[in-house]
Amino acid sequence: MNKLLPFIMAGDPSLESLPRLLAEAKALGIEALEIGLPHSDPIADGPVLQAAAHRAIQRGATPLRVVETLAGLTESPDLILFTYLNPLLQIGAERLIGLLRLTPVKALLVVDLPDSEEPEFEARLRAAGYPIIPLLSPTTDLDRAKGLLERRPDPGGDHPFAQRFAYVVARLGVTGTGGAPDLAPVRERVAALQSISDRPLAVGFGLSDPQALAEVRAMGATPVIGSALVQALAAGVALETFLHTRLG
Amino acid sequence: MHATSFLLPTRFGHGGLGGCYAPETLMQPLLDLEEAFRKALDDSSFQAELKSELRHFVGRPTPLTSAPRLAAKLGLRDLYLKREDLTHTGAHKINNALAQALLARRMGKTQIIAETGAGQHGVAAAAACARLGLRCTVYMGVVDMARQAPNVARMRLFGTEVVPVEAGQGTLKEAVNEALRAWAARCDKAHYILGSALGPHPFPTMVRTFQTVIGEEARAQVLEQAGALPDSVIACAGGGSNGLGLLVPFLGDALHRFAVEAGGHGPALGEHAARLDGGRMGVLHGCKTLLLQDEHGHTAETASISAGLDYPALGPELAALALDEKIEVLRASDDQALEAAKWLCESEGILPALESSHALALLPELAKRGFTTVLLGLSGRGDKDLSTYQSKLGI
Repeated sequence: MNKLLPFIMAGDPSLESLPRLLAEAKALGIEALEIGLPHSDPIADGPVLQAAAHRAIQRGATPLRVVETLAGLTESPDLILFTYLNPLLQIGAERLIGLLRLTPVKALLVVDLPDSEEPEFEARLRAAGYPIIPLLSPTTDLDRAKGLLERRPDPGGDHPFAQRFAYVVARLGVTGTGGAPDLAPVRERVAALQSISDRPLAVGFGLSDPQALAEVRAMGATPVIGSALVQALAAGVALETFLHTRLG
Repeated sequence: MHATSFLLPTRFGHGGLGGCYAPETLMQPLLDLEEAFRKALDDSSFQAELKSELRHFVGRPTPLTSAPRLAAKLGLRDLYLKREDLTHTGAHKINNALAQALLARRMGKTQIIAETGAGQHGVAAAAACARLGLRCTVYMGVVDMARQAPNVARMRLFGTEVVPVEAGQGTLKEAVNEALRAWAARCDKAHYILGSALGPHPFPTMVRTFQTVIGEEARAQVLEQAGALPDSVIACAGGGSNGLGLLVPFLGDALHRFAVEAGGHGPALGEHAARLDGGRMGVLHGCKTLLLQDEHGHTAETASISAGLDYPALGPELAALALDEKIEVLRASDDQALEAAKWLCESEGILPALESSHALALLPELAKRGFTTVLLGLSGRGDKDLSTYQSKLGI
């Protein structure tokens, strides 16, 4: 089982340091990593990731520069591009696929794209090997979850974790460390989802301390660490220093 | 039992604008909202309660006022003003805020979240919530709080919490971002009263439905007073709640329909909020529409003297009607709007909101193009803009 799914914001602390960060993550045994594409209006993000996106944009981390920075990297975990829809729509499916071919990106997580809204765009990405990861939130009941998992299907056991997992949103609200989730209802939801699907699950939103991460692992799911890591990296803490108590 | 799919159309026009581009957390609340909205529309007791509140609390029907002195000054034969400025709280926003508050109460929600730009929607939501005993939180950009300070005070007097939003430009776009985040955190208890015909489905359809009372009344009134329809109808458009509210009931008529956007202080990106010429198709705040954006798909900055028009996206239904050539979209600059406000004050003794002044500013253009009888949506009163008028007009 994958022990940890870290999130970092591309361009924060800097685009120049991104290849080194990814190489360090790989050396630490990180199999997959979510990489945030900075957006002007991140409606699902809390203050930490909003500020990180803002800093990254100020420093010139445009979508194209981010993808160019990732091009040709071999020392990297599998990447999941975590993004909002509009920048992708402006690039266009064909051009996006061509750009991603050169990078370690294996899948996309598009926060504001329900599977009903851009079926053609999504089908082209999937056919080219870039599935969109399904999100399951506290407001997603089990029937709805079944439908979402069918419409964004598991490509199968011969594919890497980055393309197979479903993302379980631990609590209502936005990303960030404020208000750590009560893990008891999360445990129930994860168990219910495991009863209808054998797909790998990642759990995120509000997780930061090693204890919470361990509790998620005990559910048989992969914990996501995002805002807390982004904050540490922005403060100059080394990736290894921050992650060594959190790797599981 | 939860609603499992949308039953109303989610898209507008040949371009398929609108849609429901929402995070998964908000999908079930949006499905449930559409279901509650459909059921309320079919429920005669909801309709009766809404009608009664619109009459006794809001003050509907609002008058249609003939403006002969301004008509003569601008070379028109007849000019009629639909007086949304005379509603309780002073703008058309109350029609939608009150209806959604009634719907929220019916859904068992005890808390209301709203965003506001000029503060008119915030004040309307605050008043409706006080009236119905709901707890209200309004998100407002810090720049808008400064330029519309009287409305901040009014909201607070109605017992509403006004949360300052410091991010970005500190205007309406950031306020909507923050309201959407707050709704995601409290969607189990709270309803989000979106103030314009924007956002994910079902908001654009719902807001338009609750605002078409403006045009329905105006159409009947002009037929009664003038004995015929005008040759043109004009309204200002930020997101489009006022524009659609007035213009949609006239869509089947043989007349010209105009919506006026904020031309700001220049033609370059960042200097205006004119989405029809300046915008490209994109997704913001849950819908696909004409959007002012840079080449990277980041939302562009906007500028307008009018906080209520200072928004980077045109509502999807209005954008679709414009692209399908059912409504012509024009722009008026800051200076033109200020000048037009003066005309209405001096000729008719009516102080218009800066938003409505943008529609007034295009009247000479309509006269030049040969229109003679115009019906104009006076969306709100200008008391909130007094300090801007004083400083810009030097009075």
